[in-house]
Amino acid sequence: MMLYGPLAAWLAVSFFGPYDVTQGIYSKLLYIHVPTVWVAYLGYTLTFIYSVFYFFTKKQKYDSLAVANAKSGVIFTIVTLLAGSFWGKQTWGTWWVWGDARLNLTAILLLVYLGYIASRQFNKDLAKTAKNSSFIGIFGVIQIPILHFSVIWWRSVHQQASILSQETVASGDAPMSVDILTTLLISVLLVTLVHIFLSKRFRISNDILWDNYLNPKSRAKI
Amino acid sequence: MKKNFIIVLLGIGLIIYASTIIASRNTIYYYTTSETENIEITTNERIKLGGFVVEDSVSQEDGFTVFTITDGNKDIEIVFDGFIPELFQENMGVILDGVLDNDIFFADDMLVKHDNEYVSSDGETYDVKSYSK
Repeated sequence: MMLYGPLAAWLAVSFFGPYDVTQGIYSKLLYIHVPTVWVAYLGYTLTFIYSVFYFFTKKQKYDSLAVANAKSGVIFTIVTLLAGSFWGKQTWGTWWVWGDARLNLTAILLLVYLGYIASRQFNKDLAKTAKNSSFIGIFGVIQIPILHFSVIWWRSVHQQASILSQETVASGDAPMSVDILTTLLISVLLVTLVHIFLSKRFRISNDILWDNYLNPKSRAKI
Repeated sequence: MKKNFIIVLLGIGLIIYASTIIASRNTIYYYTTSETENIEITTNERIKLGGFVVEDSVSQEDGFTVFTITDGNKDIEIVFDGFIPELFQENMGVILDGVLDNDIFFADDMLVKHDNEYVSSDGETYDVKSYSK
């Protein structure tokens, strides 16, 4: 229930929120596209941190936390790609631009973390699986800074960052109306909550796997 | 089972390698109007050209949409025949795909490049009446 509350609130905020007058109502996709990709970054960053912890401590809880954040991150990456593609159709006039660095790199980010999830199935020995996956969790994070700076390094169709840009951080003034900015920040908060409760579910299911692996006898009794 | 893991690692390596290649090849996704003076393009070579639509320059001639784009320094006249995105308007950034011939650019593909500014209708609250434009 804790999951559906923020989820419903987020969708309501996105639906009833203000929009950019030039771009029309489809610019409300901002409240879907931007928070989901930020939270996906957050998820993958946490996957990185917990993968490092697992690699050095071999404590099962760190593995579960890493998996949970990666799974949630993958879901939000898919949402951000779908929302961004639809937004692109409405403003740029196309669903996808193959020459754009940021678009391609985001698709690759998704593939890498789908690979992370797939790697969970490759070994019946959970301890080995966790160790193998932690490599992907550690190295996969390199993509995030590249993605963030892609719109600055390469001339692209994708617009520049509005919030996480040098100008905005330096001046403290985002190129947005106050109501749009407020709605966006509320969306970010709500999506973060969705991520927390969603990843908790994934964590619990992975904890059960670890429990079965470490205590096979207790499972046999049930 | 170790084999599978190596395959995945190789796959990821390949993906990262491919992405670097793709990204570096597209360092310049489009040229600005000023840059057309310095690049060497063969006749009929397709290039992408980006710029802002000049005010009061848009007109219809013989079924073509004719307008001028600029990057602030150099104007180029565009003869366009293709799908025009709804957002196309004066002062908007556009990226065109076509052929440059004697300072006239014949294009048949257009992308509208929106900037990172978001301005709401009244800067205050959501208005149900303005929902349908």
